Amino acid sequence: MQLKPGARRPKAANARRQLMAASCALLGAAGARGQQSGTAPADSGLLEDWSVDSALAYYHENGRIRAIEPVVDVSKVFADGQALNLNATFDSLSGSSPNGALTSHTAQTFSSPSGKASHSYITAPGQLPVDPHYQDERIAVGANWTLPVTRVDQLSVGAKLSDEHDFFSVTVNASIAHDFNEKNTTLSFGISNEYDSLSPIGGAPVPGSDYALLEKTGGKTKDGVGALLGVTQVMTRIWLTEFNISVDRFKGYLNDPYKITSIIDSAGNTTGYEFESRPDQRTRKSAYWENRVGWSEQFSTALSLRYMSDDWGIRSDTAQLHVRWSLSDRHRYIEPTLRWYRQTAADFYTPFILSTQQPATGYESADSRLGAFHALTYGLKYAQKLPGLGSRPESEFSVRAEYYQQTFDERMAVPAGLSGLDLYPGLKAVLVQVGWRF
Amino acid sequence: MAASAGNAPDEALEVEARGEHLLAVRFTAMASPCEVLLSSTDRSAALAMGTLAAREAQRIEKKFSRYRDDSVTAWIHENRGARIEVDEETASLIDFASRCFELSDGLFDITSGVLRRAWKFDGSDRVPEPDSIRSLLPLLGFDKLEWRSPHLMLPSGMELDFGGIGKEYAVDRAYDLLASARAAPFLINFGGDLRANRPPPHGPWQVGIERPDADREATMILDLEHGALATSGDSRRYLLKDGVRYGHILDPRTGWPVPDAPRSVTVAASSCTEAGLLSTLALLQGARGREFLEEQGVRFWLLS
Repeated sequence: MQLKPGARRPKAANARRQLMAASCALLGAAGARGQQSGTAPADSGLLEDWSVDSALAYYHENGRIRAIEPVVDVSKVFADGQALNLNATFDSLSGSSPNGALTSHTAQTFSSPSGKASHSYITAPGQLPVDPHYQDERIAVGANWTLPVTRVDQLSVGAKLSDEHDFFSVTVNASIAHDFNEKNTTLSFGISNEYDSLSPIGGAPVPGSDYALLEKTGGKTKDGVGALLGVTQVMTRIWLTEFNISVDRFKGYLNDPYKITSIIDSAGNTTGYEFESRPDQRTRKSAYWENRVGWSEQFSTALSLRYMSDDWGIRSDTAQLHVRWSLSDRHRYIEPTLRWYRQTAADFYTPFILSTQQPATGYESADSRLGAFHALTYGLKYAQKLPGLGSRPESEFSVRAEYYQQTFDERMAVPAGLSGLDLYPGLKAVLVQVGWRF
Repeated sequence: MAASAGNAPDEALEVEARGEHLLAVRFTAMASPCEVLLSSTDRSAALAMGTLAAREAQRIEKKFSRYRDDSVTAWIHENRGARIEVDEETASLIDFASRCFELSDGLFDITSGVLRRAWKFDGSDRVPEPDSIRSLLPLLGFDKLEWRSPHLMLPSGMELDFGGIGKEYAVDRAYDLLASARAAPFLINFGGDLRANRPPPHGPWQVGIERPDADREATMILDLEHGALATSGDSRRYLLKDGVRYGHILDPRTGWPVPDAPRSVTVAASSCTEAGLLSTLALLQGARGREFLEEQGVRFWLLS
């Protein structure tokens, strides 16, 4: 029969490599033409599935702390469904930190926490007392490992270490998530355990002791346990809702070792200071509800509400709205954010102690973070998708800016001698972050 | 069940749940049932991904189909004998075809479509006359083209057909788009040519490959974590005369079917284009198909 084409073999014994090169040239050319971004070619092994999220943030509180914070986060999903996430954060903080003392009509002299005379500082009349030598570096690393146990159960374990020159913290956590209802519902439960060690400069002050006496002991510890129960539900094809409740309890030395409280006489003169004294336990309960809705391919929103209360008397409410709006070509999006926060003061919060009237509970703190205030944060993020590096299909560059404004809500009656002073200066801060994900 | 018509790119696609945590978007393109599977519960994201893939498949079909008179292929055919300048995407496909022609010693040839004028693989006994095949041979051969990218001159009477690579190319292009969109684990399947980015959380993709067996259809289940699979061969397309089975794999150098070609070859590779080429070349190698694939060091499944 005439069917004798004589099956010849390709010229090269290994046509495959050349074919691969030709395929890559074809597909690479397609990507480079940028009909959409991305060159996405052969699987290049090791780094193929690692995604890297990096950011550099600059944070500045009006007249106070400045911080620079690089963050890097890498994660990989393995073929068997396991996932590993590793992250590292470095913070460099410097500037002035309020020491808790009250603004006064006279100059005030403070010693540094270390007790070194050269580091003592003077606060001018009418100014909020701040320690101008505040300087800290923090490095934090974390790892999280997720592994599927069954088709519908997933276990996750993680650990986090954070180190500063006067503070060291270790947290371990574990959680399990169970999917049911055709994976439209996920129930999760997690627990965490935190151990902190404080070694403040000059030692940890004895709570409530006289500032002038420098009654300090060595290092202190605190530890906490927490639990979280959550449910995530797919409501409709565009709506996802998540609800969770959590409780945590901390025990140990819960004071800020650098915070003091002014003692005021009835005329409003500062007669001295004492180190703050907080209870040695704190139990917090919170509830969180988030709704994410993808209104269209271009437009989605996430609204979250949080309620928190603790046994120190603080109740807080947070409402946050994120809107993500993809611009026409879907390679850019903007994300405006609005966050409203309000908290009541801790029972023992007091901006000052009247020398005639020591606090009944024995606890006191003038730390403004424990006072009653509300705050608004306005943010805007712009992200641009770019072609990826090497074998990565894409990268994303983003810039985020936030403006935070805090206002105090309750003002105590003050002795006449303090009138005219801004005792509740509030806080304004800006955050600028550039991020690169690839 | 692929209900959607392929030539209406903007029609609403439907997302269907396929078991737990698996969503599918189906459509028809390139005369094949197509689907995008996503390991996700996010229906709106799945819809967006499916739409992206469908539009890309339909774009490529519209651009290169030899059945449409508004395609680039039709335009090239209208301009036979003239030197024309093709767009970049077409140029890169012709470059690729040129490379494949060289590598396969002329076995893979995008000009071989003219043989369809003589061969109709309809299961009948209408085997063409050797003379009619011989008369077509002058119209065959990629090397008869004048091709210096992006300038092309197609001699009169000749045809170009991107059908042999179009579907695999479309899979890879759609893959790039979905990968750029940071999709959940996904699998793109355009008529049996497929590519996945990574496996779903609970194990590999289970892929059913239709294999024409001696007298019945059998489906072979393969596990795919990531990468591409392409299948060539179709035992339903043949002629039978005097007890001789003429398969539809034609050798462009002779104009006659490749003897003893495997009935079906499935190849795994990193891109669908590469997998498709390897499986096609394996068929063109005839009885040497298996040996050829073994030499390439790829995973393959061959039915002879």
